[in-house]
This record gives sequence, structure tokens and C-alpha cells, in this order.
Amino acid sequence: MIVAVAVVGPINQPLYLSTFTDDESARLSTLVHCSLDAVEEKVAAGMRGVTTDVPDAYLGVLAVEEECKVYGFVTNTRTKLIVVVDDPLIKDDEMRAIFRRMHTAFADAVSNPFYVLGTPLVSPRFDASVRTIATSLGAAA
Amino acid sequence: MGKSRQCAESCVDYLALELVHHYRTQLQGPSLQAALDAVGERAGRQLAERCARDRAPLLEQLEAVKFICKEFWGEVFRKAVDNLRTNHRGTFVLRDTQFRWLVRLSQNQMPAQLGQPLPAPAAKADLAADFLLLPCALVRGALAQLGWDAAVTADAASLPQVDFTVVMRQQVQR
Repeated sequence: MIVAVAVVGPINQPLYLSTFTDDESARLSTLVHCSLDAVEEKVAAGMRGVTTDVPDAYLGVLAVEEECKVYGFVTNTRTKLIVVVDDPLIKDDEMRAIFRRMHTAFADAVSNPFYVLGTPLVSPRFDASVRTIATSLGAAA
Repeated sequence: MGKSRQCAESCVDYLALELVHHYRTQLQGPSLQAALDAVGERAGRQLAERCARDRAPLLEQLEAVKFICKEFWGEVFRKAVDNLRTNHRGTFVLRDTQFRWLVRLSQNQMPAQLGQPLPAPAAKADLAADFLLLPCALVRGALAQLGWDAAVTADAASLPQVDFTVVMRQQVQR
């Protein structure tokens, strides 16, 4: 199931962090920040053309720590969506669908004219959308 | 999520017109430009976030400009840009031969009192100048959100054709 969700801005400023376990929010936020290095590596590799794959917004697994895996997704506006999952059997397709829904929710939240771009995102509606997406993963499995 | 809601295109036309008229009553010259720039840039950034969703990553400068010409122009101005020229050194000219927001701009103005002769028609380029501030700012905001710092100006010498010149400055730090 999804343990944490984070949104990081274009200059790596934290915009949003939400955890779904009872404790360890400090450990999870550290994990998210450490995985940002992996994001930079993958994006740079994509730009240099190191891999022959088509450049993809979905970055796959960024880091593994104990039972948790960290997945990443970079939008065209260089906002990064990071999701920490502790279910070892999750498939790539499921993660891509999760990121697509999360990107939609993020685009809706950013469309709020009172939200200042680049500052931390405080939105009850976005919280609720993220919670729905996060819990839907456990239910579908 | 609910169904997407839509409204008539004329609402967008009237809103854009009213926006310019509203600010004209309060501001002149550079501050009018600054106000419309701010509104347009903000809206451009939000639109870029939404339009660039579910697309392959836009890594190259040219790809970003082509995205603006096709998808972004389609979303905002209801058609695609007709002609794109570049000098391959960071300057692009986007030509829209039927710019929908200015297609009905009239050169004729009403006389001060009924019965008086019509005043001479003003140059179309001057009339259109204020109304082009918002589209330029929208494009600038969208490019900024995609990571490219650019200057956008518009030339409306031969309405309804409008040429938007985009000069790319340094790429924003990734």
C-alpha cells in the first residue's frame, strides 16, 4: 500500500508531503529527499541520450530502503511526484495509472487562482484526492 | 470526478475584451502592460501545467515551441499556429493567419456625437496593441512553466494575421 506521497517543485523545493502510516514521517521525508538525487540522474541520462529508450515521464523505481520502494514521475513542468510504496508486488502499469491520477489532481490544485506557484501546496481538496488515490491502491490489490 | 464543464467560446472573447477595458479605466501605459502581463503569465503557467499533462517529455527548445504552436494554441486560441519560422539561434516567429481573438476588431470608431462625421480610422496595429498583451503573456507564462525564459512580442500590422516573435533567453536551471 502507499505509505507516502510527495510533490517537489522545479528547483527541488518541497511543495507537498503526506504520509499514510502512523509514524515515521521524518524518516519518510528524508527518504523522499534522498531519492531526488536519483531523479536528477535519470533525467540527465534521458537528456544525454544514454539509454536508447524513448524519454518517459515515468521514472520507475528510484530507491529501495528496507521494505519500501520509492517511485518517481517528472512532469513537463519539471514538477516531481514521488510515491513511497511498501507492497513488493506492485506492477509498473498500476504505478503509471496512480501517477496519472495524481498529476490530474495536482493540475486541478495548481489551477486555484489563490495558490502561489512554487510555494507549499495547502489544499483540502488535493489532500482528499491524494487520500482517495492512496487508499484505492490497497483496495484494488 | 464530475464531467468536464464547458462554456461558450464567446465568454472567453468577452472576458478578454472586458479585462483590457477594465484595466484601461484605471491604468495607462507601462502599468497597464504590467497588470495584463501579470494576469496572462499566471494563467499561462496554469494552462501549461494542464495542457502538458500526459505528453511525452519536452526536452528540446524546438519541441517546447512546437507544443505551444499545436497543443497550447489549440487549447487557448481554438486553432493551431499556421506557420513557424526560426533562425535556429533561439528566435521563433509564430504566425497565426486568423487570430481568433482579434478577427472582429474594427478600425471604425463612433463619432463623439451622432450626426458628426466619422473620425478617421485608427491604425489597426495601435488598436490591437493592448489586446495583444494578454496573449503574449499567456505564451510567456506557458514557456516559463516548461522551463524556458523567453520574451514574447506580437506584430499585428496585417490583421487578422498576427506574428508572435519569441526570443529565448537562458534556459531556467533544471
